[in-house]
Amino acid sequence: MRDRPLARRPRFCALATALAVLTPTESRAADFDVQADTALQGYEVTSPWGDVVLQRRRMLQTVGLGVYNLQGEHRPGEADYRLVVRMRLNADFGVNAHLDDRQGGGETTYATSAGNGLRFVPGLESAPLDLMYGYVEGRNLAHGLLGFKIGRQYVTDALGWWGFDGGLVRITTPFYVQAEAYAGLEQRGGLPLSTSRFESQGEWRGSHTGFGIGASMPSVTDYPAYQYAEPAPAFGFAIESAGPRWIHGRFSYRRVYNTGTSVVTMFPDPVGGGYRTIAGTRLSQERIGWAGELIKNDLGTVKGGFSYDLYSQIVASYTGGVEAYLGKRGTIGADVDYFVPTFDADSIWNWFTRSPVTSITGRASIRFTKRFDATMSGGARLWSADGDPATFGVGECNAAKTMPVCTTIPSPTTGIDPSTGGNAATGAQPWSRLPENRAVSTTLDLLGNVNARYRFGSGNVTLKGMLQTGARGSREGVDLGTEKGLDGGRYTLGARTSLYGWHDPTRPDRDATSFGYVLAAGFAPLRAANFRLEWEHDINRLVGQRYRVLALINLLVLK
Amino acid sequence: MIPRRRATAPLPGWLALVACVAALVLALLNPDASADIPAPVVVPLPTPAPSGSTINPAPTGSAISPLPAPTTLFAPPIDDDATTRSGRAAMPGDAEVPLEWMPPGSGASPLPSEEIFPPQTIPLRFNHKKHVKELKLTCRSCHSDAYGSVDAADRLLPKPAKACDGCHETDHSDLRAVKASAIPMGKCSFCHVGAKAGVGGKVAAVVIPTPNLHFPHKLHLARNIQCGQCHGKIDELELATREQMPRMAGCFTCHAMSGPAEGEAKSECTTCHLSQPDGRMQVAFSTGKLLPPRWLHDSGHAADWIERHKTAAANDSAFCGSCHTDKYCADCHDGKVRPRNIHPNDFLSMHPQAARQDSPRCVSCHQEQTFCADCHRRTGVARDAASGNLSGRRFHLPPEVWTTAPRGPQHHAWEAERNLNACVSCHTERDCTTCHATKGIAGGQGVNPHPLGFRSKCGLALQRNPRPCLVCHDGRDSLLGSCR
Repeated sequence: MRDRPLARRPRFCALATALAVLTPTESRAADFDVQADTALQGYEVTSPWGDVVLQRRRMLQTVGLGVYNLQGEHRPGEADYRLVVRMRLNADFGVNAHLDDRQGGGETTYATSAGNGLRFVPGLESAPLDLMYGYVEGRNLAHGLLGFKIGRQYVTDALGWWGFDGGLVRITTPFYVQAEAYAGLEQRGGLPLSTSRFESQGEWRGSHTGFGIGASMPSVTDYPAYQYAEPAPAFGFAIESAGPRWIHGRFSYRRVYNTGTSVVTMFPDPVGGGYRTIAGTRLSQERIGWAGELIKNDLGTVKGGFSYDLYSQIVASYTGGVEAYLGKRGTIGADVDYFVPTFDADSIWNWFTRSPVTSITGRASIRFTKRFDATMSGGARLWSADGDPATFGVGECNAAKTMPVCTTIPSPTTGIDPSTGGNAATGAQPWSRLPENRAVSTTLDLLGNVNARYRFGSGNVTLKGMLQTGARGSREGVDLGTEKGLDGGRYTLGARTSLYGWHDPTRPDRDATSFGYVLAAGFAPLRAANFRLEWEHDINRLVGQRYRVLALINLLVLK
Repeated sequence: MIPRRRATAPLPGWLALVACVAALVLALLNPDASADIPAPVVVPLPTPAPSGSTINPAPTGSAISPLPAPTTLFAPPIDDDATTRSGRAAMPGDAEVPLEWMPPGSGASPLPSEEIFPPQTIPLRFNHKKHVKELKLTCRSCHSDAYGSVDAADRLLPKPAKACDGCHETDHSDLRAVKASAIPMGKCSFCHVGAKAGVGGKVAAVVIPTPNLHFPHKLHLARNIQCGQCHGKIDELELATREQMPRMAGCFTCHAMSGPAEGEAKSECTTCHLSQPDGRMQVAFSTGKLLPPRWLHDSGHAADWIERHKTAAANDSAFCGSCHTDKYCADCHDGKVRPRNIHPNDFLSMHPQAARQDSPRCVSCHQEQTFCADCHRRTGVARDAASGNLSGRRFHLPPEVWTTAPRGPQHHAWEAERNLNACVSCHTERDCTTCHATKGIAGGQGVNPHPLGFRSKCGLALQRNPRPCLVCHDGRDSLLGSCR
């Protein structure tokens, strides 16, 4: 008797759906597009010691739907509504592929016949699916006063490129100012249909599905640094200028919270009690930022920006630049870029000594013709550290009174540890933490870049060269590439050659000179479809020959 | 561990390279089909009119070919005397037009965009200054159609039968049988330039491609925006060309209001620019790709734009969205396919040095503890790699140089201070707390990693999130108490 209603239910649902779809409704002039992009690529990954350790057989597919002008015909400045969604499958069929039968599946499954956890990487998935973005947006509502966005969306400002699930409201006033406010949940890896791309740095989070206390299950205590993925409430606002083009600025504020349980101690309590945890709502990040510019159309630009980490209480970054337009073809300028690493407030690394990296560069850009332009830039990057690396160790040894032979601190003979404190008996001072021994020292990298581009009817030639050299090693190289469309763009041919060298003084065995080339061919049988195949071959002493094949299939349906 | 092996190429690399380069050279030498532009159409008349020369005048109406021509043609008229030397260019002798006579915004953009106003062919001689200042004609005398025009595609050049014949004593009433007159200014070559203009009943065609924008003259005139406010002082010029077309910088004089204050002068890009179904601007045209000028958010897309775009994006991301979709940004910033213009050559091998020298760039796209460290765990580089992944070889310098005190020049402390992001791309908190946590429950060695001045900040930090403190300090730690 129970079977009949159950059997009828799908039919009823199908009928209802069909009726809903087929019932005449008011006609709308909405536009839509459906786009599917697929990238297939295969290559090998070697370890730092030259062994081929991973096979990458990747398939990235994104499928997007956009429905625009839900209100009907689009009129600039009047209210319009849209729905935009894009899903992504990022599969790597090479995960687990290099393992033998006994370890089969071991990278994503804890238990194998060869043993538990031998290859296990918590959080690693072979085919994760995520929602890149999906939102409904309304613009220019109430005569341009209001706008909104609801769903998974990106926010781009001086605080970085960030994604969250929630709602955003924008109010544009008649007084050259607009304000945004948003709230929701930060996108976090390990949560459904999410990636960790938008989390602050420093915390290793992910899904603990499959974790437990069974012998064949991974335990939280096996991976105490691997934290639970929990919803992260977030909110923020921005105030931005609107209207005039000669001046623009955007001030942003954002706060994100961590919730749920976090493993705190990385080692079990030596007197019992296991690992300690903390639970509850706590700060993840709180930052303010600003970016702005001042432009005189025929003269030049002054621009700048900064971000300040309210949790760490430091300026995390700032940029500044000035440009002068020299006639209609030339531009010269100078830029400064300052950066200090900042991390999630759950992370210990915010409280490690860390110093800024500052780049100062000059730049010239020349547009020789409409088709040919080139830019050159050069300058220096300054690496700071608290103390002088060349003499610091000698100072430690002197303070520990271990000279002339000093190999270990604390001194095995005097017991003095200059990094933690003094020694009243000997009169030694806490040398390592005295400010006078921690004066800022800098290391310099020299930077140079050249870029040139020549565009002709259906193709282009590009040149890109770079040099970075200093005490921290060097990298230099040049890329020369070209693309050419044939038969009105129906076919494309591309080629790229590349020669690079690099040198790391801390790992001279990893120095190399590498030559590579890429050959590409494309075919667009329809406006709505194009295919492209790329062959990449890199040659250097570290990998011998490395091949990479990349196939791109893009399909687009428009209405 | 899979042993190193020599990869076998399906095709010898040098052969593939030679074949592709040869194909590319051939392709480059081949005429570019998409760039071929038909020559201006010159239509011979079937039969010359009996009186005077019969010409086929410039097709200034809707029959004009919309295809762009490469340059403005301007050949001298055959009767090159003093009276016909004027009107060949904007200024006598093709002198430079003073900036104050040019359309507003010409200081920022000396030339109009070829993508918006494709190059024209105007084989005519005309002196606006003479007609306006001496003959006291108004703009409306010749361009009356502009006053009712609502579309940029409307043809607004004067109809010669209506505007020219009265004074020049010509008869353009039948464009297939135009009658010249006997007076000098009634000859075909008086206005139509080019070798043998009018001979055999032929003149060169005027080609003015349709501008790629929306522009209703009618609405602007209704707002009392007069011709000169967009086109400059044409009454001071002789021949007017596309250089007298408006510049975007000039449009912003009005189209720069804020939200509800915009009125009719909307500031959305698609108010003037052609749009795609999704609301973004159309940027691909037969004359090239429409790119923003350098003075607009400092966003001139020069060859190094990819390395400079962050300030423009941080300043006004909606501006980027005028042309780019979310996907466009995500393709690199949430990248799963390595973009070669950012990560060239064998970047898999080069990236350790790149991260060592340029780590701020890594974190603009990659979450280190997952994207970087997951791969490092798999390849055995990370310290917390599974036992089966560990190579048994040491990545860093020997411990006596890298790890233990005293701190020599290559001690890890300096690397961490300079580039902590690089450490975090392999190491988890557990690795660092091995030494840097306090002794006891935290399991460390008590090596203090805090910066100078830490104590002034720790109280607030502890209050807002105690978790990082408790990783290294027991809750009863007196040091922790001093922060409270």
